[in-house]
Amino acid sequence: MRALIVDDEVHARASLKAMLEATGEVEVVGSCADAIQALPALRAERPDVLFVDVQMPKVNGFQLVSMIDRELLPQVVFVTAFDAYAVKAFDEDALDYLLKPVQPDRLARTIDKLKRAVRDGARPTFESPAIERIPCTSVGGIRLVDVADVELVRCGPAGVYVVTDRGEFLTELTMQVLEAKTDLARCHRQCLVNVRQIEEVRRPEPRSAVLRLKSGKEVPASRRYFLKLKERLGLRREGRYLDPLS
Amino acid sequence: MQIFLALFQAMSFFLFVAYIYCKSPAFTPLRSGALRTRHRLFLYALFSALSITGTYLGLPVQGAIANTRAIGPVLAGLIGGPALGAAVGLTGGVHRWWLGGFTGLSCGLSTFTEGIIGGLVHLLLVRRGRADEVFRPVVALVTTAVAEAVQMAIILAVARPFSEAVDLVQVIAAPMITANAVGAALFISIIRDRMDLYDQVGALSSARALRIAERTLAMMAKGFNAAVAPELARIIHEETGVGAVAITDAERVLAFVGVGAEHHRAGTPIASDWTRRAISESATTYADGIHERYECPLSRDCPLHSVLVVPLLVDGEVIGTIKLYEPAHRRFLSFNRTLGEGLKVLLSSQLLRARYQEQKSLLVMSELKLARAQVNPHFLFNALNTIMALLPDSSRARGLLNHLSNFFRANLKRSGELSTIEEELEHVSAYLEIEKARFEDRLAVELEVDRSLLQLRVPTFTLQPLMENAIKHGISDMLTPGTARIRVYRHDGAARVDVEDDAGAFDERKGRGDGLGLRIVDKRIRNLLGERHGLTTSCVPNQLTRVSFTVPLPVAAP
Repeated sequence: MRALIVDDEVHARASLKAMLEATGEVEVVGSCADAIQALPALRAERPDVLFVDVQMPKVNGFQLVSMIDRELLPQVVFVTAFDAYAVKAFDEDALDYLLKPVQPDRLARTIDKLKRAVRDGARPTFESPAIERIPCTSVGGIRLVDVADVELVRCGPAGVYVVTDRGEFLTELTMQVLEAKTDLARCHRQCLVNVRQIEEVRRPEPRSAVLRLKSGKEVPASRRYFLKLKERLGLRREGRYLDPLS
Repeated sequence: MQIFLALFQAMSFFLFVAYIYCKSPAFTPLRSGALRTRHRLFLYALFSALSITGTYLGLPVQGAIANTRAIGPVLAGLIGGPALGAAVGLTGGVHRWWLGGFTGLSCGLSTFTEGIIGGLVHLLLVRRGRADEVFRPVVALVTTAVAEAVQMAIILAVARPFSEAVDLVQVIAAPMITANAVGAALFISIIRDRMDLYDQVGALSSARALRIAERTLAMMAKGFNAAVAPELARIIHEETGVGAVAITDAERVLAFVGVGAEHHRAGTPIASDWTRRAISESATTYADGIHERYECPLSRDCPLHSVLVVPLLVDGEVIGTIKLYEPAHRRFLSFNRTLGEGLKVLLSSQLLRARYQEQKSLLVMSELKLARAQVNPHFLFNALNTIMALLPDSSRARGLLNHLSNFFRANLKRSGELSTIEEELEHVSAYLEIEKARFEDRLAVELEVDRSLLQLRVPTFTLQPLMENAIKHGISDMLTPGTARIRVYRHDGAARVDVEDDAGAFDERKGRGDGLGLRIVDKRIRNLLGERHGLTTSCVPNQLTRVSFTVPLPVAAP
């Protein structure tokens, strides 16, 4: 069983790693200090199980789990020193939770549970929280972009870019996660748009549309997604007032 | 001359009436400002009677009567206003007219006029906001003199034959103007003296009550019990000068001072009915020693004959009584009776205040406990987790366990409200040692302390919660290493303490209700150092959060 540890405290990571390896059942494939490091590690390592601390800087354990692509989502065990969080962890349908300091026999029970889940190939299902801030990498380091400030998200050759009026930032989150966990709407196979930023809808030809944003940027909308988008915009019926624009 | 004497004789009768009147309960309303209808009717009767008596006490002179009738209506007008003056004047006037004589009509008419003149002067003074002056003897003197002069004019104008009227006026004018004016002035002066006396007694009584209040305030702050009762009884005994003073709680005598102390002993159960009634009915009981006699249940030879028992109430519940006694040979002064009632209110409110203070200090204690308890759970588990991780490095783990036990020992030991900054820094250092191990290179700590301020006292558990806040909500939420800083320095004639972190997340977290720890610290600083010294916070987003407070310096540095 391959495990990834995410905890902001170096000693907590070290001790959990030692305990997991001592069981002989688990191979620790990585230790990350925060959610931002964890996202690429998850993609690179594709672990079976994620041991994640709840209290972490900027993006907490619950938020991290909601940012993981469904395809990649491993079994999740929350690790926390706070009892109150443990109760919440159950609400989140986590496979299990561990209280710090971790007791070896308690950890053994968790590992039994995990082994069964992995063997059965059970897919964890999560009602995880909506994403409010998108972690991005920028030149200076990490930037957390408020979803409300996002104009659009587009898929580029290097990855997923979050576009704001301050520039474009690369994020580890996938288009699928962002579409599911934020209210950004798909307007194109390669593109999500913030509906609140749309100022004008143009239809140069009946089969397609162009969305003009408040900032002046223009985003193409494919016919397939435009139909859904119209509902979101409250333009379900082909409004007459759109015609003069076309 | 004979007329003068006769008139002064009549006048002295009036002064006698004035004296009696002042002694009677009917006098009370005059002191209280606005007159009620009942009091007006009484004054009407009094002054009408005076006016008519004045006529009878007069001396017949040349078919007329030299008299002191004017005093009644003029004073009625002065004291009670035009309506009362006119009513008294009319009564006295009609009576005089009915007696007849060649001046009957003119004298009757002028008596009525005199009442109105008194009333007009009253009106004039009240309108000018000088209502007090109606009781000035000079005002009564001048008003009556003028009124009598007017009467002479009316006699000359109305009485016929005119020649006889002229003769009459020549004889009676001087004595009547003088006697009536002086009589009215003296009458008023007696009333005024009496009023002043009441005021003086009132002032003396207030002064005593205030002195008792001052002397008992600090004592009552400790509550009402057997320890403070003897001192309280002694103060009341001293200030009131009554024969004896006893203090009881709801069941026992707590203290007894004065006459009869040899058989009225502290610690004995309450024996007197007067006290039991005062407690059961929550009302003052009083035996004046004349109509009702206080009979001592303990000793037949007890010299005490009168008693006033006032219950002490806190939140509507009788918690004890204060008893004032006088021995048989001394009358219980109504003055002391009033004072006793005042004591009830005074001491009861002092006790209420004491109870409030006690609850407030309990609150501070529980806040202290809360402040102490707040650090425990998550901090402890995280600390233990760190120590377990460090166990392979046994000397470091041992060091941390030492810091942890120092921290908790300091928590337990510190029960006082105030600690020195030095103690606070030691406490926070133990805490920081553990947090530094937990966060390793993510947390750096800087101390900049003016060592001359180390002995300054601040509320216990101030620095550590502020530092915990800076770490928990600031630095632990940073993706990059952070620095926490404590600065203690002089600023603007006071000491200033800053606790800073470079996360600059205060504005961000403000909305999330994390403020309880800070609120408790802020409240305790305000309670213990004064309202001016609460926490102030400043924040530069993503750069700095600074929480500061000031501490007054004990003496200005030379």
